[in-house]
Amino acid sequence: MSDDRKELNPSARRSFLKSTGAALALGAATAKPTLGVAQTPPAVTPGVAAASAAMAPGYQSLGLEESATTEALVDHMWPADQLSVSGTELGIATYIDRQLAGAFGRGDRLYAQGPFRKGKAQHGYQLPLTPEAWYKTGIAALNTHCTRVHGKAFDRLAGAERETALQAVSAGSANTPAFDLAAWFNGLLYPLFTQGAFADPIYGGNRGKAAWKMIGYPGLPAVYNRDVVAFRGKRHPKSDAPKSIQDLS
Amino acid sequence: MIKLKEREVVVVGGGLTAGLVSRRLVPAGRDVLVLERGPERAGGPEDELPTQRDDLRWGTYRGLTQRENVETITLRHKPSEQALPMRRLTSFLPGFGVGGAISHWNGQTWRFQTTDYMLRSHLESRYGKASVAALTVQDWGLKYEELEPYYTLFENLFGISGEAGNVKGVKRPAGNPYEPYRSEAYPLPPLEATELGLMFRDAAAKLGYHPFAMPAANASRPYRNPDGMQLGACQYCGHCERFLCEANAKSSAMNLLFPLVRGKPNFELRANTEVLRLQYDKAGQRVTGVIYADARSGEEFEQPASVVVLGAYVFTNTRLLLLSGIGRPYEPATGQGAVGRNYCYQTTSAVQVFFEDKFLNPFMGSGALGTTIDDFNNDHFDHSGLGFHGGAYITANITNGRPIDTRPLPPGTPRWGTKWKEANAKWYLRGAAIGCHGSSYSHRDNYLDLDPDYRDAWGRPLVRMTFDFPENDLKMSEYVTARAHDIAKAMGATNTNPVPRRGLYDARPYQSTHNTGGTIMGADPATSVVSPHLQCWNASNLFISGASVFPQNSGYNPTGPVGALGLRLGEDLLNFLQRPRMLG
Repeated sequence: MSDDRKELNPSARRSFLKSTGAALALGAATAKPTLGVAQTPPAVTPGVAAASAAMAPGYQSLGLEESATTEALVDHMWPADQLSVSGTELGIATYIDRQLAGAFGRGDRLYAQGPFRKGKAQHGYQLPLTPEAWYKTGIAALNTHCTRVHGKAFDRLAGAERETALQAVSAGSANTPAFDLAAWFNGLLYPLFTQGAFADPIYGGNRGKAAWKMIGYPGLPAVYNRDVVAFRGKRHPKSDAPKSIQDLS
Repeated sequence: MIKLKEREVVVVGGGLTAGLVSRRLVPAGRDVLVLERGPERAGGPEDELPTQRDDLRWGTYRGLTQRENVETITLRHKPSEQALPMRRLTSFLPGFGVGGAISHWNGQTWRFQTTDYMLRSHLESRYGKASVAALTVQDWGLKYEELEPYYTLFENLFGISGEAGNVKGVKRPAGNPYEPYRSEAYPLPPLEATELGLMFRDAAAKLGYHPFAMPAANASRPYRNPDGMQLGACQYCGHCERFLCEANAKSSAMNLLFPLVRGKPNFELRANTEVLRLQYDKAGQRVTGVIYADARSGEEFEQPASVVVLGAYVFTNTRLLLLSGIGRPYEPATGQGAVGRNYCYQTTSAVQVFFEDKFLNPFMGSGALGTTIDDFNNDHFDHSGLGFHGGAYITANITNGRPIDTRPLPPGTPRWGTKWKEANAKWYLRGAAIGCHGSSYSHRDNYLDLDPDYRDAWGRPLVRMTFDFPENDLKMSEYVTARAHDIAKAMGATNTNPVPRRGLYDARPYQSTHNTGGTIMGADPATSVVSPHLQCWNASNLFISGASVFPQNSGYNPTGPVGALGLRLGEDLLNFLQRPRMLG
């Protein structure tokens, strides 16, 4: 993929945002911490129907600026190269969007009672935000940082500037008193990114099992009672032809 | 509130202890009611192909474990700090649902060492009182010999695959030379060794250590246990921990114990029942029953009982005593009180290993598929001058290659980009870890009590954990991890990366579901909650079992002794029901 295309899509989106005045409204909405139930479509559940829904174009949770930033993030972190297609083409941005729109994004399983106090990193997540709201607050904070330091939002930066920005973000040097961008990157964005790459394709990422093929994970059905001896120390042929839940459904 | 008909024995928690106790009491004609907070767990997507293999659902999102949105645990690292809730329970995984935590375990099944039951006496006599002064380790009040028959029965019931090292005092070279005397060999031969295990075996032997196959509750071949219950053969699918076994090859309460008693008129298991507190008659020094809520309707019930058994996870056992006013809560400032005392964990660490020219195939794994040495565990080596007590077994396990989480990369690898992708492609099939599974010794400042600020969805105070790794255990980890590093280098690894355990205790990364203590056993009511027969000192018809009764944690996995204690408790309960009294 050429750099031109990377630049073109987000710019086009940004023009659209500006022309409709949506950018301001969106920014205001996402920057405000809320514990309330996010206004999102119903959760996607596993299964064949979900698999086709996950492949459908478009986003359920992410707005235009958020999706442009997310696509830029996953394309920088999972670039198109000799090993595979780009992160967006692999479906990582779709995966993230579907997780945010579903039960995870709404805070299912998260202990959400106060009081909310600042803890040590070892206490784990302590904010009163749903994961979806935390994600969006982080995207806005990332773009604020990039605009302040590099003069542009993340998706409009060239590769080297993106790298500089992510190094700063992940190491904590882009943290502000109001927002811990490192905790956001390491505790939310990064896990979603690796899940989107390596989870079963029914969730919308790892399209074509490309990430499994890249590393040699054979997937399902994983019945190796004889192979554990027969392929001890040898490359297993199924490493080159992985099967997913959908393949066995 | 509806008051229900009195039942003879009410067990809180539908896991291993409930299964073992029911197995003994129900055929003997005793009436047993088991109350489990979670749902039934069979015949659903967690138990069938292909959905059982869903790493995101059962692995990452922990589909089988405690709902922390309903009830979690708060954490502080020392008594002077303010605790914060673990808003996601990720460093350990208490069970939720019929079967309990043993449904999603790995199957690593050990006997605690003979010295574990008399740890304080042993260490003081070998190294002097001063060397143990910084620790609050205690004796169990029983000896290994009293548990040995129950360990043997548990191994036979659970079809443990392994290589015995000491049968009736006769040493066997292929087994663990340090293991305590056993009356029988394991019922099944060990699992097949892996490429990593064979390399570890050769390197460890070359260094003068004594490698053997880790004892496993993942059946190496089909098996029929003494109760007539069947196991299938392990498929090495790499989906044990966090998963049910759809091949019926991993032993659990769900597949081996509850089917024995289900359908019997004197047995009942009520799923979706959250026990809120016990009813305690302090003057009479007995409990009269439990109050529980139907987790589907919220309706509360009073369930009278002649005998109550707490067989839930560590935190629930401890919390129910504290919520019910049973026993004296432990206070670190004075060292007085017993409930909540001696909370311990497991001091795990690892050495990453990478082999440029080997296929380790991590996806062909099983929960207890390991080649192990016990030379640096417990007091198997002289601790004189080392400045710590305890140790760890060192092991080369291939438990899984589920790629969301199991993609070891050498240190210095970028965290994204083409170089990161290349490293994943290069090392996924060629990287692994040598694990150190270390003891966790009790310390005055590590304990459990009720949190003053945070509550669960039922309105009850959460358990507050005050814990950090004591200096003793961090020194142990440093030492043992260095020994594991020696072996890793002797294996000829292209790249090695030792990662000893360091403080602070971090509630985020998974470490182990081996939490212990809080309702500890002992011979002295001032420093223990239950007697050596697991009978509560403050309520003679209340019995408690599980790892919550361990006065400290050994370098071994806790399930073996939890199984042995549960089987022995079955005998003690029969004895008690015939003639209620403090058992001596």
